[in-house]
Amino acid sequence: MIRAIVLNTNDNVGTLVDAAKKDDKVSLTGELNETVTLVENIEFGHKLAIRTIDHGGKIIKYGKVIGQAVKAIKIGEHVHTHNVDALRARGDKKESL
Amino acid sequence: MKNTFWGFERQHGAVGTRNLIAVVSVMDNCNPVTHAIASAVQGTVYLPGSYIRGQLGRDREITLKVTAGLCLNPNIAGVVVIGLEPRTTLELVNLLAPSGKPVEFIDIQMTGGTINSIAAGTRVAALMVKDASRQRRREFSIDKLIVGLECGGSDTTSGLASNPAIGVVSDKVIAEGGTSIITETSEFFGAEHIFADRAIDPNVRESFLNEVNLLEKEIIALGIDLRGSNPTPDNIRGGLTTIEEKALGAMAKSGNSDLVGVLGYGDHPSRNGLHFMSGPAPAVESITGLAAGGCQICIFSTGVGNPIGHPVSTVIKVSGNRNTIKAFSDNVDFDVSSIIEQNESISSAGNRLFEYMLSVANGELTSSEVLGTCESAISRFGPSM
Repeated sequence: MIRAIVLNTNDNVGTLVDAAKKDDKVSLTGELNETVTLVENIEFGHKLAIRTIDHGGKIIKYGKVIGQAVKAIKIGEHVHTHNVDALRARGDKKESL
Repeated sequence: MKNTFWGFERQHGAVGTRNLIAVVSVMDNCNPVTHAIASAVQGTVYLPGSYIRGQLGRDREITLKVTAGLCLNPNIAGVVVIGLEPRTTLELVNLLAPSGKPVEFIDIQMTGGTINSIAAGTRVAALMVKDASRQRRREFSIDKLIVGLECGGSDTTSGLASNPAIGVVSDKVIAEGGTSIITETSEFFGAEHIFADRAIDPNVRESFLNEVNLLEKEIIALGIDLRGSNPTPDNIRGGLTTIEEKALGAMAKSGNSDLVGVLGYGDHPSRNGLHFMSGPAPAVESITGLAAGGCQICIFSTGVGNPIGHPVSTVIKVSGNRNTIKAFSDNVDFDVSSIIEQNESISSAGNRLFEYMLSVANGELTSSEVLGTCESAISRFGPSM
């Protein structure tokens, strides 16, 4: 069984605690009890989307905002630096404070 | 039942969990002599000097204060100070004098150069180690412990397993009257509002938020994107995407206790309970600040693997990543991967880690102590002139 931990019922990402491949079914554990099918390979410890996330939508983990989607993200997609931006300590974007 | 540990009583009621002699440089140009002495005498630790010469103002004050703080840590029984010239050496010696610890000093200019200074320093260090070795451990309650809370080489398992387990230990130490210190200011970006709500009064809350806000403003004023350095490349490889995600996981090391005080880099707490220390995130500088603040032990969680310890404060490496525990086993002291792999509760893993920490306090050696993978470095806060 390939597992992903979800820490809060409001989270839209889960953390994979097993390495997983495209089309694998992932069992969500922790605060949710659902199954998600991966649309791409994802490494151990990395996050998958468990809800559809719009471009500009907030990424929620621990029930808190951990960043913002820079493109639309589908359920089962890898959620990482390629599609998420940090919102804090961005001196390159002066308006961030 | 109250827990206890066996330690070495120092002056003014402090208690060490180790019985070491520090050989410390006043400034960086003394390091070769200091290193040679510490290498020659078993039972000593080498504390390299960081600059001093050419430093000025607040930056120089902090370096001197933190150097003194490392020597004043209760794990240190006596100090051999190696300086270049008497005036600066005395500045450090005067900071150590009130502790009542045995302190000897040697100035390389006054002692006739490198070889004579190494010989003289080796003799005094050897005598100090012999003297210190006569002291026996006695039983003390947990209120004598100051525990540093650190993470390095973090990944997503840090926030799921090792950091929350450390949080359980911190809460247990505090429940028995002890003290813990969390640091790494930038690793509160995105979690500071939650942590601030645990402050015992508005002053503590304000001074904590002030430290975080000042640092973020400084980064923004420099036009820097923090993503260039934090999360680090290995954090990102381990699945951490943003500083906010890292911060929410890192904060779990502090458990649920009230925040009772805010400390400057390397400052010693003036009361017991959970403290925040302002300081940088990289492990060596960070643990050096915690050691100078009086932490006898630092509990250090690692996800993808960080091997470093500190010569003064004993570092316990904890991991919840089963791959790291296998591949990096020489450097991991405590395995909490059962939280993820076998559904062990956080509190059960935390209780096991607490028992292990007491054993380390009593003298069980950790990986970084046995392998000597220890380093000490004091942060800079200004330019040299």
